[in-house]
Amino acid sequence: MAILIGLEHFLQLDKINLLPKIHMMIVYFIVWVIMTSSVSATAQPAPFQEYVVKGAFLYNFARFVEWPQKAFANEQDPLTICILGEDPFDNALDQLRGKTTGKHKIQVRQHAALSEIYSCNILFISKSEQDKLAEILSFSHQRRVLTVSDMENFAAQGGVIGLITVQNKIRFEVNLEAARRADLRISSQLLKLAIIVKE
Amino acid sequence: MKLDEFFRLSRSPAALPLAWIPLVATALALYLMTVTSDCWGQDGLARSGLEADLTDLSLEQLMDIEVTSVSKKVQKLSDAAAAVFVITHEDIRRSGATTIPDVLRMAPGVNVARIDANKWAISIRGFNGRFANKLLVLMDGRTVYNPIHSGVFWDVQDTLLEDIERIEIIRGPGATLWGANAVNGVINIITKPAKDTQGTLITGGYGTEEQGFSGARYGGKIDDSAFYRTYFKYFNRADAVNALGEDGADGWDKFQGGGRIDWNPSLKNALTFEGDIYSGTAGDRLTVPTLDPPYSVSLDEDTDYSGGNVLGRWLHHFSSTSDLTLQVYYDRMARQDTILDITLDTFDMELQHSFTWGPRQQVVWGMNYRLYSDKILGSDYGDFDPTSADYHLASAFIQDEITLIENHLSCLVGSKFEYNTFSEFELQPNARLLWTPNPRHSIWAAVSRAVRTPSRGELEARLDQFVIPGPLPTLVSIFGNPDFGSEDLIAYEAGYRWQAARNLSFDIAAFYNDYAELRTVEVGAPFLQESMGIPYYVLPIYPGNKMAGQTYGVEAVADWSPYQWWRLQLVYSFLQMDLHLDEDSTDTTSEVEGESPSNQVSFRSLMNLPRNLELALWLRYVDDLPAQGVPAYVTMDAQLAWRPWKYLELALVGRNLFENEHLEFSPEIISIEPTQVERSVYGRITWRF
Repeated sequence: MAILIGLEHFLQLDKINLLPKIHMMIVYFIVWVIMTSSVSATAQPAPFQEYVVKGAFLYNFARFVEWPQKAFANEQDPLTICILGEDPFDNALDQLRGKTTGKHKIQVRQHAALSEIYSCNILFISKSEQDKLAEILSFSHQRRVLTVSDMENFAAQGGVIGLITVQNKIRFEVNLEAARRADLRISSQLLKLAIIVKE
Repeated sequence: MKLDEFFRLSRSPAALPLAWIPLVATALALYLMTVTSDCWGQDGLARSGLEADLTDLSLEQLMDIEVTSVSKKVQKLSDAAAAVFVITHEDIRRSGATTIPDVLRMAPGVNVARIDANKWAISIRGFNGRFANKLLVLMDGRTVYNPIHSGVFWDVQDTLLEDIERIEIIRGPGATLWGANAVNGVINIITKPAKDTQGTLITGGYGTEEQGFSGARYGGKIDDSAFYRTYFKYFNRADAVNALGEDGADGWDKFQGGGRIDWNPSLKNALTFEGDIYSGTAGDRLTVPTLDPPYSVSLDEDTDYSGGNVLGRWLHHFSSTSDLTLQVYYDRMARQDTILDITLDTFDMELQHSFTWGPRQQVVWGMNYRLYSDKILGSDYGDFDPTSADYHLASAFIQDEITLIENHLSCLVGSKFEYNTFSEFELQPNARLLWTPNPRHSIWAAVSRAVRTPSRGELEARLDQFVIPGPLPTLVSIFGNPDFGSEDLIAYEAGYRWQAARNLSFDIAAFYNDYAELRTVEVGAPFLQESMGIPYYVLPIYPGNKMAGQTYGVEAVADWSPYQWWRLQLVYSFLQMDLHLDEDSTDTTSEVEGESPSNQVSFRSLMNLPRNLELALWLRYVDDLPAQGVPAYVTMDAQLAWRPWKYLELALVGRNLFENEHLEFSPEIISIEPTQVERSVYGRITWRF
């Protein structure tokens, strides 16, 4: 009924211009129908936000890296991913909530403080922390933390995994020496896709 | 449907058969959409998680995904060197408001005063009026500022409130980016992308003032890269009461429908198409002058209005740091009341390119061309000469944001260069500085210039005002003044934002506005005229630019969530105006300091209660308007909402609960009877699936 009343109003107005108005409406709907029915089904997928993809990489690192037993209090202890510095992920890490790896439930802590690193298993170091990198790395490797960052030359500067963007696609560099220092074992499935770098 | 409407319809026999054409088209379109979306829909459902959740993909697959980092990323509020306030979808849903003007009451620095059931006076930082002319309003990038009278017809600006993603309110000049008339502020109403409005929504309700409203939206998916929605809404509002407590003549009903398509054909391109059509009837009681005793007559009139718009936008990413937006729209507005019958067509084209230049500079530049074409048929009480006109606006802008100290200090300089038919060349620069000592604190300051360009009415209209009785009656009439020029502002602003804790934030902004060439009403020399053998005097009054003035004020917002389930927001606005006429001005009415309130407070409490209940309370205080004899008022709105299951929401809303009724504003220029805002109650049901 509401549609009917509305259309009646639409028509009783501005009687001189009645026809153009109806035409406009018809044209509008025809365009509409054509648009909705003819849009190509073979279109490429929508672009993904950089950090949604990087978030999924973090999940895979959690799956393909082995921590020493001492890193967890018990088997039910969660695997904690911390973000240090300005958080570029926003809600892109929501995809990790509720996921598990092995028996460990994944837990995400955005806005982590340096003093909280002891409870992190994966530490994503934001580009904003570039100046404090040396301090953060020495602190975290003593505590068996997998350090990940997308700042430039991260792995070469002593980080374990560095994310880089090559032609709009994400690649990752691994520093085996840094992994060894942090007492981490990286699975061969991960290594065969990685770019190995040295300090 | 009212009986008289039914009869009015049957008076135009030609309309009835024609009425079926769009109806059938609509039905056909809706049918096609439903049929086609069904087969797409199933596929979509299985893969719908893909968009945000990539954890099911293997590393190899992840490494094959192309990523974009949109360079013009949504700017964080704490990064803006301007006084910005955002009303979110959630704020709107819990406000109990049924119109965009009522939603705006929660924003700092904004004065919303209802004139009658379908008219509002809305301004930012003073100079309020029905034809408040220093505020620019955009809906999804389409300007709805009207060049005929310089202002916004608020009864026309609408969409399904459920589809609004956010309303950004920028106080202070925004002319460098948005152009002329963004003098005291800009309001950007932004609807959700079609992807975020998937599924069906049906809403409706009824109450004491809201005498029936309904809305429906259907959102579907064509494939993973293309989404659409279509909607309509209808409402009918009751007459309010006038100052004497009698029924006014300001009932209002309106139909609106439209839709939107968002399509990302490739990683580097995003296309948006959207459009609306609307039509409604808004009543009021108008007083017009007559040459015989009693020299004025009041009549109940209906304003019939209708219109529509279509907009297309193309966003192209050249690279992660450079992108281009091309936008084109067409808008038609028709409006017919006792005095004027207006048709206005607007065609607008806009190009914007942003890119990083070196490691420290982010440059945005753009160009805009707009064509207005109007046809204005007058009456005995007023007209335009010429009756139809085409006029243009062409502009370019460039703005550079320079990082002085990474993450801590940045500055922004830019200017708009604008040409328009009425005031010709206008230069509107600004300079802004943002200091962020650490992520919790930010301090900003800005200096900017903006102009309010003359309207066609101020240059070319005639509008009768009132008659002074005498041996020969004297008709006071406003005439356009071709020499009327732009009003001019230089604004000085500063602000401070503090994220005191995760759940507590403060935002304070102060301004000092220095205006020149403000509009005045100058008295001309009376002349003798004759109408049907009766001689009378005409006392012409003209717009002039003979006033200057300063305004200053402070706006503060405190936002606190003591618990996850409870949020409190306190907004306070203070304004002082100090206007002075030039010595040679003959104006007696334009020193409008007392038409905007000095103090305003909005205090909202939003609670999520157990058993899926939500309670929202909203207390408002608005100071008196001494120039209009409108007293201060305190009032409260309340909304109790219940979700018995996740698809259904029932809400009970009480508005203006503290008194039976209160007056908010008396209009200027056109003598419309103001009506009072009454206590009202309505119920609403919303069903999503």
